[in-house]
Amino acid sequence: MTPIPLGVRHTWGWCLTHTGTPVHRPAPGREVLEALRSVGDPEYPDVSIVDLGLVETVEVDDDAVRIGLIPTFSGCPALAMIADDVRAAIESVPGVRSVAVDWLAAPVWSTSRMSSAARRALAEEYTVVLRGSDGSLRCPVCGSHDVREQSMAGPTRCRSISWCDDCRNPVEVMR
Amino acid sequence: MRTLADAPAGGRTWSDLDDFQAFIDAGGMVEPGDDMPDEYREEVFRFIEFHANSELMGGLTERDWIPHAPGLRLKQVFLAKTQDEIGHAHLLYMVAADMGIKTRTEMLEDLFGGRSRFHNVFHYQAVTWADQIAIAFLVDAAAFASQRAVFAECTYGPYKRILKRIVSEEGFHMRHGEEMLLRLATGTDVQRSMFQEALGRWWWPAVQLFGPDSPPGDTDPLIRWRIKSKRNEELRAAYVQKYVPLLHSYGFEVPDPELHQDADGRWVPGEIDWEPLKATMRQGGPDSARRIATAANNWADTAWVRAALS
Repeated sequence: MTPIPLGVRHTWGWCLTHTGTPVHRPAPGREVLEALRSVGDPEYPDVSIVDLGLVETVEVDDDAVRIGLIPTFSGCPALAMIADDVRAAIESVPGVRSVAVDWLAAPVWSTSRMSSAARRALAEEYTVVLRGSDGSLRCPVCGSHDVREQSMAGPTRCRSISWCDDCRNPVEVMR
Repeated sequence: MRTLADAPAGGRTWSDLDDFQAFIDAGGMVEPGDDMPDEYREEVFRFIEFHANSELMGGLTERDWIPHAPGLRLKQVFLAKTQDEIGHAHLLYMVAADMGIKTRTEMLEDLFGGRSRFHNVFHYQAVTWADQIAIAFLVDAAAFASQRAVFAECTYGPYKRILKRIVSEEGFHMRHGEEMLLRLATGTDVQRSMFQEALGRWWWPAVQLFGPDSPPGDTDPLIRWRIKSKRNEELRAAYVQKYVPLLHSYGFEVPDPELHQDADGRWVPGEIDWEPLKATMRQGGPDSARRIATAANNWADTAWVRAALS
């Protein structure tokens, strides 16, 4: 079973009537998390927003679900789309009646929030890498450290462009 | 499964074009360090240069509409799209320049001097905001379909790796296009008629973006060397098949009086007049001169930055 990195705050209680019949079926926390995992980033459709570290809080209160997300950049143009995708995914979980999605102002996103699965998928499928803790860069294509920065600005605000002198491929760097 | 980041071999040589073709047919991927045939290098280079020019000209066009976008949210969308296109051009020019045929500066000077080609759709003028929506909905989708078909095969490693990201980002633009169209389609009569008029201006350029039929059999080197995975006419037919019913479902008319369904229910467009496409390839489209001059002025205005950095 995959470990779930998030704490789900359950405030549900089975509401039992005096005959012992549950009148409310609480939204199952595990299924809510699975639905969240199925939401991909609009720019990397096969990388989950959970793995990218965008999900901060998940609250399940009976049949009402509230999700707190944090953006990689506050001006990110994908925010509305991600929120729509999250809402649609969670609404499809049986037992959920309402979904609220909030973009939180804190904490601030950083690349340290990305899981190793996200790092691997970005490197292997998108040839996008993160700097090492010492600031070094390793080419995702050939493994060389002979990587030079070319432009602070890449196709999105969260990436810059470098070039690998060894295998002669552009390398994009999450920042 | 091989991932895009598997270490490339590099340094390979082939005895002749047949030997090279056998390598391609066996699913081989060519890397910059390989001694590839000159004909292949030339074809791939021209293809990437055309793509890079198109991203740059497209980005400059979208930039023009940032101040006119209705509302902050759409301004943000257009800012992001502009950044995407310019970033894509940047990546593509890097890979093209590395092929050793033209430097990046030579490519840009050829483009701004009107000596280089770029997509037909960037030779037309966007008249109203609805044109931008028609472009986002129709043209971005056509570009997406054609790029996805290149990505599916694409035997040149560095190009395939960039295309993976470009295709994902163009998919994101398409969603913006759908969202914006939905706003107009469910809006006032004025908004709906604005879109209908824009459709009249953009339907044919979008359909023509795929180009005339590919040369017969495997005479097209782009197909033979698996730079493209699908023929132009296949992509065009699939596009018409998808977009005619979509536009109808929103209640818009496709500006083609001869458009009809065949016995199998497939949409068949009227005969296509390729003259407008040919004119754009000679820089003789309705808005070619103004667009190229605007881009050239940008280049001239920023000469001092390049001088300061060198």
